[in-house]
Amino acid sequence: MENLLSVQNLTKRFGPVTANDGVNLEVRKGEIHCLFGENGAGKSTLSSCLYGYYRADSGVIRFKGEVAELNSPADALRLGIGMVHQHFVLVSNFTVLENIIVGSAETGLFLTKSDARRKISELCENCGIRIDLDREIWELSVGEQQWVEILKALYFGAELLILDEPTAVLTPQQSDQLFRILDGMRKRGLSIILISHKLREVMQSDRVTILRKGRAIATVETSETTAEAITSLMVGHKVNKHVRDRSVEPTGEVLAVDRACAIGEWGEDILKDVSFNIAHHEILGLAGVAGNGQKELFETLMGVRALSSGGFSLEGELITKPTSREMLDRGIGFVPDDRFLEGLIPEFGTAENLILGWQRAREYCRGPFLDRRKMDALARRKIEEFKVVTASADLPVERLSGGNAQRIILAREFLHSRGLLLANQPTRGLDVAASEFVYEKILEKRASGFAVLLASEELDDLLRLCDRIAVIFKGRIMGIVRPEETTLLELGMMMAGDASDVQRTVQ
Amino acid sequence: MISIQRRSGSSLRWNVVCFSAAILGAFLSSATLLALSGGDAVKAFSALFTGAFGSQNALFGSLAKATPLLLVGLGTVIAFRAKIWNIGQEGQVLAGAMMAYWASLMVGSLPYWLALSVIALAGLSGGGILGLLAGYLKTRFHTNEVISTVMLNYIVIFFLAYLLDGGPWMETGVTVAYHQSPPVNPALEWPELFARGAGKLHIGFLFALAASAFCAILIDRTSLGYDIRAFGSNPTALRFRGTNVRRLLLVVMLLSGALAGLAGAGELFGTSHRLRAETLLGIGSSGIVVAMVGGLRPSGVMLAALFFGALKSGAIYMRLQSGTPAGLVSAMEGLVLLFFLCAAVATKFQIVRSNVHA
Ligand SMILES: Nc1ncnc2c1ncn2[C@@H]1O[C@H](COP(=O)(O)OP(=O)(O)OP(=O)(O)O)[C@@H](O)[C@H]1O
Ligand SMILES: [Mg+2]
Repeated sequence: MENLLSVQNLTKRFGPVTANDGVNLEVRKGEIHCLFGENGAGKSTLSSCLYGYYRADSGVIRFKGEVAELNSPADALRLGIGMVHQHFVLVSNFTVLENIIVGSAETGLFLTKSDARRKISELCENCGIRIDLDREIWELSVGEQQWVEILKALYFGAELLILDEPTAVLTPQQSDQLFRILDGMRKRGLSIILISHKLREVMQSDRVTILRKGRAIATVETSETTAEAITSLMVGHKVNKHVRDRSVEPTGEVLAVDRACAIGEWGEDILKDVSFNIAHHEILGLAGVAGNGQKELFETLMGVRALSSGGFSLEGELITKPTSREMLDRGIGFVPDDRFLEGLIPEFGTAENLILGWQRAREYCRGPFLDRRKMDALARRKIEEFKVVTASADLPVERLSGGNAQRIILAREFLHSRGLLLANQPTRGLDVAASEFVYEKILEKRASGFAVLLASEELDDLLRLCDRIAVIFKGRIMGIVRPEETTLLELGMMMAGDASDVQRTVQ
Repeated sequence: MISIQRRSGSSLRWNVVCFSAAILGAFLSSATLLALSGGDAVKAFSALFTGAFGSQNALFGSLAKATPLLLVGLGTVIAFRAKIWNIGQEGQVLAGAMMAYWASLMVGSLPYWLALSVIALAGLSGGGILGLLAGYLKTRFHTNEVISTVMLNYIVIFFLAYLLDGGPWMETGVTVAYHQSPPVNPALEWPELFARGAGKLHIGFLFALAASAFCAILIDRTSLGYDIRAFGSNPTALRFRGTNVRRLLLVVMLLSGALAGLAGAGELFGTSHRLRAETLLGIGSSGIVVAMVGGLRPSGVMLAALFFGALKSGAIYMRLQSGTPAGLVSAMEGLVLLFFLCAAVATKFQIVRSNVHA
């Protein structure tokens, strides 16, 4: 089979960090080619080089047999290389159609919408994308916005499409749809470079290139290998899956939520009569399709969103009108699902982000002054303990790879929390080994008496880690079940709002 | 292959290159402007330089002109670092001067240093209250601070106009109204740092130096500075992490306005000795320029304030010596800002020679 893209010896450095070190990569026509590797292995950097966003320090990129001059994304687009970024760049009060054609060369002075509409409808048909071209972007779900990005790339004539962790923000259903679309594109001879940490998705590709510390160490045919083999290639050793220690029994009560209700911007119910409790030594899982109120539940417990009725108590003490300050002071750790928006100050370095929320705490201050020496010492310790890959403790975290940024939040929350840990998708964007590391840490907290609320889209993980699992659907708790008394299928049905199977709630 | 690329760090050498180029560019284009308007550029610039630094007197004059710009610039830095766009410095300068004048009418009987402190505090609070008001409008009604601060400028300017023209503070001249107050009580003027006649460098200059140190330490080393920078980068995360962002916004507006207010009080009691709109207008907007050119860093603002102070001070001499029209000086200020903003963008990029397709 012919190669559409071939990269030889590509090297890209950021100051002292070598993000890509002599990478070779070949992508065939009509294949889904997966890039797989630990956090900070250089996947995003490599794709940014291919898209012309960064310029490689050295190396040759050939596209369709010819050496490609990639000085900017515009060059890449012209050649037929498109990229869907994790953070979309759509104009939110334009329609789908307008967003796709804006900036295209063909439209010239007059936007000939009818021609464009015909062409785009055809594209949709071919790829199996169903979307109303006249809706405005803000009306769409994240998954649909991603389709618009894809359509846009295709409309510009992309023959190679790069997707950087496209499913990190999608629900499992949306990911399945995305893969159907990608499959359709592959059948039509388009090539796709896909970055993902989820083995389930990696295994759906044709070939996988494994990156480790900036080097491409192997390319394998997916059909001839297994998920375990790929994982051990990536980390260099076998990854153990942790399970909870059943000899430790939950006792007492740390958090008790009693008929909590919250109302949204349009007066709709976001949370409706949510009740549950978590004991010492207990991990309560929260399963649900994204967007069913998980985020809001975490926010109310953190004191940044008001409840309309009901309430909760901590260690037996009723909490009224909480603020985020109060909750932090009470020793609650919080890992938000949107790390750069809610958990980090992008322009700050690791050291300063590690004390976010504690910048007035006595540990890190002398009077009104920050104690830089203590902060630096802390940063050094945590960078080592959590294996954060960063050039220095002062490098703005916006420059870190996604997984490394997540580690900083985890380090901070594990350090400062006492008693209750609220973790919303703590392993999102983390590589397999790092995810296990996080689970190990969470289990350590459980062993030491913490109560943990853990939301995740990985049901397998919830089943092996949690003492009980609460399922949330449209802001209601559909039931609370024990992992050993339930199945994936049952969980799936409850997540879809199917409560025919009488509501079960175990204590 | 040579190409331009976003740089991943920053390099001191490249920054120096960019800003030197900016200064050169600003001077060359100003020279062109001068030549086009029929002036002798060389003569004009040498007059400008002599006027700014040619003698001890001239140097003190430049420092005196730099004083209010430095104070306003520092106030701007505090707000802009938090990405709170306080652009009401004009009004805050006036409010500071007005409050200080008002205070001076009541403290004549106090011991001198006490009276002086009260006047300085009044200046701080005049600007601070105006800033706080805009901050309150933002936290309470979500009013955009760009709009509210500019609107407050107008209110203050017209209020001053009323006070000085028919209002209680009007100087009642023999035949004509001057739109100015009577001179301040001479016993309450701010002391000059050097013997009389050696320029008009007053104690406000020391206040401005102290304020520079205060701001530098505040921003880089304190918890409040941490909050300010964090708010500028990501207010949501800051709110999620236990900071009362409304209170922070009010504190920032208070500090920012207060420094501008102190500049107004200093001009009134150290330099002009009469409350008069013309002597105070323009300080606020120049102060914003100084903050931008100074890269929103206190040390940079000190240099920029000195530069613009010298420009203003030298311009007077230049006008006398070479008959350069006054408007050209404002044009030059604008050019400097333009070139510096370009340089600030340029520092974020690098020129690389790569061997990608060797
Ligand atoms: N602009 C930058 N400046 C400095 N260092 C950078 C920059 N961009 C990336 N790096 C560094 O380069 C390395 C590779 O980063 P990259 O984002 O490519 O990793 P990744 O494989 O995409 O990881 P993840 O799975 O966590 O997203 C990291 O160590 C990162 O800190
Ligand atoms: Mg990445």
